[in-house]
Amino acid sequence: MTELATMEFHAQPQAGEPKPWAFPAPERGSLDNGLTVLRCHRPGQQVVAVEVLLDAPLDAEPAGLDGVATIMARAFSEGTDKHSAEDFAAELERCGATLDAHADHPGVRLSLEVPASRLAKALGLLADALRAPAFADGEVERLVRNRLDEIPHELANPARRAAKELSKELFPAEARMSRPRQGTEETVAAIDSAAVRAFYERHVRPATATAVVVGDLTGVDLDALLGDTLGAWTGSAAEPRPVPAVTADDRGRVVIVDRPGAVQTQLLIGRTGADRHDRVWPAQVLGTYCLGGTLTSRLDRVLREEKGYTYGVRAFGQVLRSAPDGTGAAMLAISGSVDTPNTGPALEDLWTVLRKLAAEGLTDAERDVAVQNLVGVAPLKYETAAAVADTLADQVEQHLPDDFQATLYRQLAATGTVEATAAVVNAFPVDRLVTVLVGDAAQIKEPVEALGIGEVTVVAAE
Amino acid sequence: MPMGHTATAQAGSGGLTATEHRLANGLRVVLSEDHLTPVAAVCLWYDVGSRHEVKGRTGLAHLFEHLMFQGSAQVKGNGHFELVQGAGGSLNGTTSFERTNYFETMPAHQLELALWLEADRMGSLLAALDEESMENQRDVVKNERRQRYDNVPYGTAFEKLTALAYPEGHPYHHTPIGSMADLDAATLEDARAFFRTYYAPNNAVLSVVGDIDPEQTLAWIEKYFGSIASHDGKQPPRDGSLPDVMGGQLREIVEEEVPARALMAAYRLPEDGTRASDAADLALTVLGGGESSRLYNRLVRRDRTAVAAGFGLLRLAGAPSLGWLDVKTSGDVEVPVIETAIDEELARFAEDGPTAEEMERAQAQLEREWLDRLGTVAGRADELCRYAVLFGDPQLALTAVQRVLEVTAEEVQEVAKARLRPDNRAVLVYEPTAPADETDATDENEEAAK
Repeated sequence: MTELATMEFHAQPQAGEPKPWAFPAPERGSLDNGLTVLRCHRPGQQVVAVEVLLDAPLDAEPAGLDGVATIMARAFSEGTDKHSAEDFAAELERCGATLDAHADHPGVRLSLEVPASRLAKALGLLADALRAPAFADGEVERLVRNRLDEIPHELANPARRAAKELSKELFPAEARMSRPRQGTEETVAAIDSAAVRAFYERHVRPATATAVVVGDLTGVDLDALLGDTLGAWTGSAAEPRPVPAVTADDRGRVVIVDRPGAVQTQLLIGRTGADRHDRVWPAQVLGTYCLGGTLTSRLDRVLREEKGYTYGVRAFGQVLRSAPDGTGAAMLAISGSVDTPNTGPALEDLWTVLRKLAAEGLTDAERDVAVQNLVGVAPLKYETAAAVADTLADQVEQHLPDDFQATLYRQLAATGTVEATAAVVNAFPVDRLVTVLVGDAAQIKEPVEALGIGEVTVVAAE
Repeated sequence: MPMGHTATAQAGSGGLTATEHRLANGLRVVLSEDHLTPVAAVCLWYDVGSRHEVKGRTGLAHLFEHLMFQGSAQVKGNGHFELVQGAGGSLNGTTSFERTNYFETMPAHQLELALWLEADRMGSLLAALDEESMENQRDVVKNERRQRYDNVPYGTAFEKLTALAYPEGHPYHHTPIGSMADLDAATLEDARAFFRTYYAPNNAVLSVVGDIDPEQTLAWIEKYFGSIASHDGKQPPRDGSLPDVMGGQLREIVEEEVPARALMAAYRLPEDGTRASDAADLALTVLGGGESSRLYNRLVRRDRTAVAAGFGLLRLAGAPSLGWLDVKTSGDVEVPVIETAIDEELARFAEDGPTAEEMERAQAQLEREWLDRLGTVAGRADELCRYAVLFGDPQLALTAVQRVLEVTAEEVQEVAKARLRPDNRAVLVYEPTAPADETDATDENEEAAK
């Protein structure tokens, strides 16, 4: 076969004139029942996103009932005073709507997405779920059994198994954060409809809830719509609730969750650090991106693109809980999978990358590309209503101002190489990282011990 | 507020339009303007997928897709990723049975860069392709295979069921990830030959969607892609046609270390692009889409024999599509109990057809899926390419949802009756074994018997 005729080459083009874009500013208000409402009109977004945040954090779950917030969240879509569980699901789907609900450390979130023309109907269903959930014995019992059935599936998933072990290692045993968000077999089995209702009555009320509505609201009388739906929800006034500070033990050590015969080792290397109320946050975001935000970041440049040990390794900072009084924290972690025989060499390279970063710092070019990406992708990232609603809801949940994200973009652009280096080196100190490896202990234990990154213990996968 | 049968006046297309163009070298171009957000999506579909691979070289199309990110004449190493991300864009590529796609979503003022990059690798990949990239990406892809398929419970179910559903020698018998042995066997010369055969302007469709000036965009496309030579080396894929039904039930029992018993099945369904395939999509949605479907209500809510139960449609244009059933059992429930219930539900559905309310619900769900897909510039660009490459007409993307809404209950019943039958499915049954760490032989038997 002959080589093909060559093409005519041109110089790399220059960028055109950027068009202005800003993270959307929501309009904030409240209903007579105390429900806080954030709204944001996004022209062209035919699928409207509604996020409802409830101040029902995992920390508020009664002792021995871990998972009750999750079961409550799921039970919201299992029938109301107007519809049975089956009818409720049918009515939602008839609107082309989806309703997801989940419980996490800061609280319970319900996410509704529905075509704008059917918003009224779907908001009515959502309001019924919050105002008058049935929590029927039989349905709660089914959700509990279903949840118990899910647990073995999660434990068999290497990434989920690693996350569970890291939480157990990092946080003190008495802290809710040390235990699985959705409960264990023992605690879930103890949940019944009475427990769900008691949790609901204690922690769910409009005065401590927020609704975020984003989408093309052309021709939608949202005030009237909200008044008729979420406005009919009643409840007592808010009571202040103390929140314990997040503490973690990040002494450098290694835990191997043994999965004999595994062809890969799942890595999860983490600790806790600054959250979004900390001034270092923008620099930490920037530095973490340079370390492991994408496949051209430092970790993948070596582990993937040079060595081929992995399909990809990422570094990230994920807020666990964030509060103005400094009691919050973010999980700072590196995760990915590497093939079993190369587990030792991959970890050695990973530590070398971290040490080199601490010794030499980031380059200006790296910092510039990272800023251009993190700031430049914003209009793409926030194209859909759901993406905007999710970020606005995160801000509320984390007690941040409504212009936090817009401000963050300006701060990122103003963050220098030195600050970004300091932040990421502080975030990932080589001797204060807890390493969880889900893999074949017989094959990986020895090579990992030889690295000297901390004491190695092996636990059964269960 | 009126509750019409459709969610939007234009039923999903939102009044969108697209224009079509063709360069002298055969490159087809589709443009669609949308100035709501200052972003532009570039999508390039090459008409080549795993169905074009030959025996002993499964996985080559996908491995090759990785090599497309390893530099070309004017783009060094990882430059494609670096330049797009540095411009505030996002990008990737994927490989399926029927095509390979590459896409960049850019801030609108960086569109020209994405076009320049795509043209550079379409015209000059071989100038940069070397052994080092080949060896490195071979290892990366093998780790992708381990991570996504080999190291997760039920991870190889898709591969196993596909191999059952399409006979040995059929172009869709193997999945795009390929086998480890074939990935090991692929050579640099294979990759070069693959490029020379399939990567040509006349074997691709380029779509650009978003905040663009169509005239300027077309001028850039002409400038960067216009001089790339077309060629006719392409081999058509082997014939994928098969009889409408399998004519018997195929079955494989998998004994593996999985957390629960599972029943999975693939039904042979009409090819994508036909009205019957839209009818099949609606039938599967009524039966197993979402939490108000017949199977979910029966197995998860009423019988409480399953932890999850659902149907999905793998739409294929060059071979029969597959209706994909996935049920994970609850507790100690045995598979025959589930299978009997499913057969009862499918038989009842074939007998009675969907109710009016079920039709309304299924159509609302599929319409919503289309709204989601067409709601981003990248989603729209991909759909325009899909219809252009597989069906020869990108405009069909903008009317797809209308066609789903036109299907009648009778047509849904008809396809269910003809296709959702026990003699038209391949079945995969998972039976859990004890974990491998029960080393003592006698213990192992005891564990397995639990």
